[in-house]
Order: sequence, then C-alpha cells, then structure tokens
Amino acid sequence: MGKQAIGQPNPDAGWRWVSERGLRVVTGDTTLPRYLSLVSQNLPEIEDLIPADDSILLILHRGAPMSSALRAALAAPLADAATQTGPLHEIAVEYGGAAGPDLPGLARRAGISVADCIERHAATDYTVAFLGFQPGFPYLRGLPDALCAPRRATPRVRVAAGSVAIGGAYCGIYPADGPGGWHLIGRSAVTPLFDPARAAPALLMPGDRVRFVPA
Amino acid sequence: MIEVVRAGLCDLVMDPGRPGWGALGVPAGGAADPAALAAANRLVGNDAAAAGLEITLSGPLLRFPAGGVVALTGARFAAARSSGAAVAWNETLVLAAGETLSLGPAQTDCRCWLALRGGLAVPPVMGSRSTLLPGGFGGHQGRALQAGDALPWTPAVGEIRLLRTHPPVAPHNGTLRVVAGPQAACFDDAGLAAFFASPYRVDPASDRRGLRLHGPAVTHARIELASQGVLPGAVQVPPDGQPIILGWDGPVTGGYPVIAGVISADLPRLAQLRPGDTVRFVTIELEEARALAAGQWDIEDIA
Repeated sequence: MGKQAIGQPNPDAGWRWVSERGLRVVTGDTTLPRYLSLVSQNLPEIEDLIPADDSILLILHRGAPMSSALRAALAAPLADAATQTGPLHEIAVEYGGAAGPDLPGLARRAGISVADCIERHAATDYTVAFLGFQPGFPYLRGLPDALCAPRRATPRVRVAAGSVAIGGAYCGIYPADGPGGWHLIGRSAVTPLFDPARAAPALLMPGDRVRFVPA
Repeated sequence: MIEVVRAGLCDLVMDPGRPGWGALGVPAGGAADPAALAAANRLVGNDAAAAGLEITLSGPLLRFPAGGVVALTGARFAAARSSGAAVAWNETLVLAAGETLSLGPAQTDCRCWLALRGGLAVPPVMGSRSTLLPGGFGGHQGRALQAGDALPWTPAVGEIRLLRTHPPVAPHNGTLRVVAGPQAACFDDAGLAAFFASPYRVDPASDRRGLRLHGPAVTHARIELASQGVLPGAVQVPPDGQPIILGWDGPVTGGYPVIAGVISADLPRLAQLRPGDTVRFVTIELEEARALAAGQWDIEDIA
C-alpha cells in the first residue's frame, strides 16, 4: 500500500471515495445546507446520506457510477443557510444531582460554580448538527467554550434515557438507555426522542434548534 | 403461525434492511448476506425481499402446525426433521403439517438463512421487517426469538416448484479484501505493517454491530478526528490498536481513524466469521473493487 496514494482528497472537488460505494464530501460549516440541498435533489444513485461534523457521507447503490448530475449537485452553489433553520424545541431539564453526576466536575474544570454552569448551558440556543451514535441521538452545536470537555476516560455501562450530556464540543441527549462516554449534566423528560413507529421517528432533526429550560 | 419450541443463540427476523435513515442515526442493517437470503427466498417462490430468519452459530427448533415450504442457505448447521427426511441446504424443502425442523450448532462458519414461503408477517418498521437489536425495534418485537414465540406467518398456497441453488464459490483462505480507508495516512509504517502482515483473531464479544479483532497493535498518530459517516466493513482502530470491523448494525458515524474498508464483495465472508477464526487483510485498488460484481446464486429446477 503506497502511502502517497491514500487518504488524498480529490484535487478537483471536496470529495473522496470511502470504500467503493461511499463518497465523503467535505462541507466545513456548510454541512446542513449541502445536506438539505442533496436531499431535495433526490438523486437516484444515492442510497443514503449521513451528515456529520464537517462532512457528509453519500452511500451510493452498489455498482452505481457517479453521475454528472451528482457532480453538478456537489458543485452547485448553496442557498443562504440563514433561511434554513428548523423549528425551536424547548426542553425542560433537571440539572445535577443523580440525573447529572458529572456537573460538579465540569464546573470545577471550568472554574465556575455549578449554578453558573447551569445558567450558561441553558442560556444558549443549540442547533442539531447531525444525529448518530444511537437512533435519534442529536449532536447539538453551540456549547459555550467553558463547558467543552473531552469524553470520559471510561464510558458508563448504562446511561438513562433522556440524559443530557457533554462530549467534546457537543451537547447531546441519550434517546434510550445504554452505554455512554459523555459527561452527564442532567435529565430531560422529553419522550420519546426516537420512536420508530412515528411518521417522523426522530423528534430532533438536523437544522432544528434546541433551548434547555431548567426544571 | 410458526412455534418456536426452542430458540437458537440469536435467531433474528431479517429482510434486505432499511437503508435511507442514516441521517437519523439508524443503520441499514438487514441480512448479513442479503444475496443468500434472497436465494433462499427464490427457492420457496418468494419475492427476494421477503422476511426470513438469520440464524447464528446455533439454531432453533421450529414447529410448523400447518406445514410449509422452506429453504436454507449459508453455513451448514446440524439439522433434523421430525419426519426423518434429510435437511438439504440450497434446496426447496416441503414440511408436512405438524412437522418440526431442528437446527443445532453450525458445523462450519457462522450464519445460515431460513426462508419461508409467503414470508414472515411481522409488521414492517421504518420500511423493513429486519430486527435492529441495538435499537430494540423491527423483526419479532425488536429482539431475538425466544422459546414460546408464535411467529406470524400464513403459508402461501399454490403450485410448489422444487428448486436448487448453487452458491457462488468463495475462496476460503481466511483473507478479507480491503481498500485503503480515509485515515490510512494517519497510521505509521509499523502500524500499517502490523495490519497487513499479521493474522487477527475474531473476539467473542463480536456481534452484528462490529467484529472485534485481537492481534498486533495497529499503531497510529493520536489525532482528534471529527465524527464522520461510516459504512459497514469499515475497519476502525481505537487507541488500543485492536481493530474493529463495523458490522451491519454498527453506528452510522464514528470518530476513530479508519485504516481500511472491507469491500462489498467480501461482506458475505465477514458474515461467516466466528469467534476464534483468524483473518488477514489484503489490499486491492479502489477501481478493481468497484468493478467486482456480486456473486451469482444460480437457481435451477430439481430434475
């Protein structure tokens, strides 16, 4: 395997192959408008679109070539992102205590009081950047710098559904009970975040906005 | 209706899966070897997308009160029918009313697929009848089969054709073909050398979310990587250097560097790896991988 040949972006555009049917499109801070633009074009060779931090993974149907329509879609200018924000969800949170055992540690780390920590966390409007990890788990962008913290060294075996947590520069909400490595700061009663039987299974979608309200 | 008299280790209702929900954090899932399930479906006269069972390592004992037409593809398991008739793989089987089909341990490999004429009638969830264990939905009540389950099924009536299929010949030399992963350049020479020159053993903690491997540590620069979309077959390397091959029910995004991706043509072989097996990786060019066609399951009448 020649190192020079691997991991190199296509020089002509911000995309590269990932395995033989994935295309990673580097989107930087235009992930959401690019994602929405690609969804709206409904290109037949695309099996799935997975937005993430600063890129979108396009999964093509097996054997499908990259069409000129897809190349054009990736190069097309984007509409004004400011016009594409989703609905605002106000989510009540019980901060600290048994629901948020990592809150005191995060406050110490930030050099502020627990009350200040809560106030700053709740004073921010977040945007759903993407979903991942579990069905319906939102990665919320907008966390104040002081509250950012690397993931726990050892993940918890069980995190309760509804837990509001901090991982790196993101805030998230666990839709279901399960293991988790983020810092738990509280719990919301928003139920259910994900319900596969609903017409819209995920309550929060990329582009939606979230405001936390101390309960 | 089909009675589950005794459950296997992990019997899951599967169909081709539910691609298209990645943006909600939902993997496509579906049969680990969709072509093998599709072939079994054709043997019983079903649409290729009908729901059947994916059976792993040790199988169930099923009773068919009204009889039925079934077919098995994939790994050979110890198997017996209460009628005493032989249980052939890759052929249409006609079960009499009240007959039982008992599957024991896998004799080779890991997974087989059981198709039933008419298809299992569990309710579709998000467009598929496949079980997604990590999400707890789909299939039969979102879980593996248990003794005492009654699987919703109506045996289809009509003419029965006795068919046989010939699986594609898979080279069984313990290698998986991969293309370079998006973060391959993050790995140092020692890490790349270890990965491509060493055998890796499949850990018992492996499941449909991922195959955990044990072997020489694959070393890499400890970079902070942004979360990225990932595909089944992606070989992630966590900080401990022990690779994980993401499976069919794996997460849709990941933050560990991906050294390589198992090509689509070899995902059916991934489905047949069991704990304790060893694998080696061999790299091929992207264009070669893209040109490889899926293996053909030819179907013919039994003369």
